[in-house]
Amino acid sequence: MSQQIWKLVIVAEEILSKKLIKLIKAAGATGYTVNAAGGEGSRNVRSTGEPSVSHTLANVKIEVLTGTRELADTITREIEAKYYADFSIITYIYQVEALRDHKF
Amino acid sequence: MLHTLNVTFLSDFVPLFLQQLQSPTLGFLVGGIVVAALGSQLAIPDSIYKFISFFLLMKIGLTGGIAIRNSNPSEIFLPALAAVLIGIAIVFIARYTLGQLPGIKVTDALATGGLFGAVSGSTLAAVLPQLDSAKIPYEAWTAALYPFMDIPALVTAIVVASVYLSKKTGNASENVEIWPIIKESVQSSAVTSLLLGVALGILTKPEPVYESFFNPLFRGFLAILMIIMGMEAAQRMNELRKVAQWFAIYAFISPIVHGFLAFGLGLIIHKLTGFSIGGAVVLAVIAASSSDISGPPTLRAGIPSANPSAYIGASTAIGTPVAIAICIPLFIGIAEVLLGR
Repeated sequence: MSQQIWKLVIVAEEILSKKLIKLIKAAGATGYTVNAAGGEGSRNVRSTGEPSVSHTLANVKIEVLTGTRELADTITREIEAKYYADFSIITYIYQVEALRDHKF
Repeated sequence: MLHTLNVTFLSDFVPLFLQQLQSPTLGFLVGGIVVAALGSQLAIPDSIYKFISFFLLMKIGLTGGIAIRNSNPSEIFLPALAAVLIGIAIVFIARYTLGQLPGIKVTDALATGGLFGAVSGSTLAAVLPQLDSAKIPYEAWTAALYPFMDIPALVTAIVVASVYLSKKTGNASENVEIWPIIKESVQSSAVTSLLLGVALGILTKPEPVYESFFNPLFRGFLAILMIIMGMEAAQRMNELRKVAQWFAIYAFISPIVHGFLAFGLGLIIHKLTGFSIGGAVVLAVIAASSSDISGPPTLRAGIPSANPSAYIGASTAIGTPVAIAICIPLFIGIAEVLLGR
């Protein structure tokens, strides 16, 4: 049986990834997935193009699955307050179906 | 009298300078810039870049550690003090030159100064074999001066920027913690590789692996690293175009100014303690270099409001090529004249 859950996606600068993961876990999420990401946004073109001397300009995409919308909103609010002003970061959310419903 | 002296100096210096420009280090750097500028698909994987940086800094660290084991540790005191002072001074120079220019944010200037005060492992790796080729003696432990300039520069930039920002917003309660910045700098891959090499050089007898592995491969890996630095420089040029052109001008002039400042201090220490002229060249090139590995992430986290395109573009696109292509031949050429070659 499947269950409706929320998927919060955060695309951000790689140097934030440890801090974001800490924040996500502290908020109560049970897990997350991290991928390298590249693309273009309002601040700059930010790619994972190689060679890259410093990882300062690399990006990650972090996905968090949450059982409730509230948890996803809490994480988003904290990220907004801490990082929106100075960093390249974007968050979005959508509803997904979890196939292992007991996990969330 | 002074005029003739200048003419003799120049006539001695120019051919030596031109000879330095033909070094393989510079050739590979320019090669990297050219292929990237022509839009080549050539890519050197990030993991290879990371391995080579580790390898080169490890080898430099081992050389330094073995040298420290066989030398008097008190010799390092004055050059290390000079390195700390230069690292701090470079940040204030940027604050009161670049930072005063129209349209330049003070935080951007401070971050740029921090990056130019910090040290580049690749530039350090490039100067040492060129001194060997020119047969200019230097103390092998001079490479260990790296963290003495790198860390104070990053700490100063972040602290001064935080003080500036809290004054500007009238929010004096925010204290900057210095210890986490130092910790992050020491934990960075570049400084860790170097310090691990130094420690292994002092505490163990790494000569067998040093002679059979690290030393023979050093120049070849350095050549590949120079191609990577060249390609990176060409790519970062695009970012630099998006910020004020003052950053490009600063990035061109400041490595030479910082180099002369450090070379002058090095010569004073030479007179005082017999620190070698080759050592003064290493100090000058460390000062001329701008960080490419460890500095940017530390500054991005420490001064988040500064624009990374400005400081990383200035350092990688112009600062590093100027340090390698102009400053290394320049100071080696001056050293050769001073040594009466």
